Amino acid sequence: MKVETTVNSNYTVVAIAGEIDMYSSPQLRDTLLQLVKNKTATVIVNLKDVKYIDSSGIATFVEALKKMLSYKGKLKMAQVPDRLMEIFNFSKLDKVFEIFGKIEDAANS
Amino acid sequence: MENAIEVIDLVTYYGDRKILKGISFSIPMGMTTVIVGGSGCGKTTTLKHLIGLLRPASGSIHIHGKDIAAMDNASLDEYRKKMGVLFQGAALLNSMTLAENVALPLREHTKLKGSVIDIIVRMKLDLVGLSGFGDFFPVQLSGGMKKRAGIARAMAMDPVIMYFDEPSAGLDPVTAAGLDELILKLHSVFKMTVVVVTHELPSIFKIADYVVMLDEGEVSFVGSLDEFKKSDKAIVRTFIERRAVEESISPDNYFKIITGT
Repeated sequence: MKVETTVNSNYTVVAIAGEIDMYSSPQLRDTLLQLVKNKTATVIVNLKDVKYIDSSGIATFVEALKKMLSYKGKLKMAQVPDRLMEIFNFSKLDKVFEIFGKIEDAANS
Repeated sequence: MENAIEVIDLVTYYGDRKILKGISFSIPMGMTTVIVGGSGCGKTTTLKHLIGLLRPASGSIHIHGKDIAAMDNASLDEYRKKMGVLFQGAALLNSMTLAENVALPLREHTKLKGSVIDIIVRMKLDLVGLSGFGDFFPVQLSGGMKKRAGIARAMAMDPVIMYFDEPSAGLDPVTAAGLDELILKLHSVFKMTVVVVTHELPSIFKIADYVVMLDEGEVSFVGSLDEFKKSDKAIVRTFIERRAVEESISPDNYFKIITGT
């Protein structure tokens, strides 16, 4: 799994590629918690190149969102592949996260 | 059709008694395969081999291309992390709450932080319709709820293969149907290979894509559910039409049985 963070003026994009599983999700957690620590107002997660996500990956996002809500931060998902969207829908996560088709839409919302 | 599991010429004994007599069959990837047969036909014994609880006397069991019958214990443990099992009695630990039961494999096999594990546990309990029951102990639950909790724990590590041993056993028809629905739902969303051992006809007709039938330690039928329903094999018809099979005992044998000679 690769995680790349790009800081823009109003938001930060976390682009993830590969598989988010029980072994790699702690690395993603470190990245997200660092952004939480810095009280980053808006984090957009680009999931376009994610081939697989397991429960630990989803739980990592949920934990980050919970922490961000304490300072009214926003965690948004963008470019979610169909396969992941199916899991998001089934796990009712489509009601937990704000989900957008494009990064720009997430940034402008 | 790619196979998840290939069993080749599997033989096993309990003492001197030959239980599996050289069975061979394949289980397709991403489908729900039901292993059926009457009581004592060897289906639970077969399942125990598939999950690596028993070692065969001979034969091989290839799972995703690797022979688990030839694996050492360390490799077998790695394989077991990728599979989930719902045992007949759910096998929950009674001294632990449901949440602790579901968390157990995650705490044992991963380096995930407690806060992440707590979220996974709540997600899994919600998945099986047990939101809010995390602090309950197994004795406080009905049979159906225990099975659901067992599924939540089996799903904790996001398995690629799920095994269910007689999931409907001991449940009323409505609860059993609910469990079948849950198996269908999990299968359709997570695209897992599902293997169910059962002799419950309504379950077979509802959840199976593929059927393996055993009889007295031998494979008597392998094929799709449709082929199973249409099969004109006597053993399949007897099973589907729920006909009783008379035991044939000769007078001489019967005399030996009752005199213990």
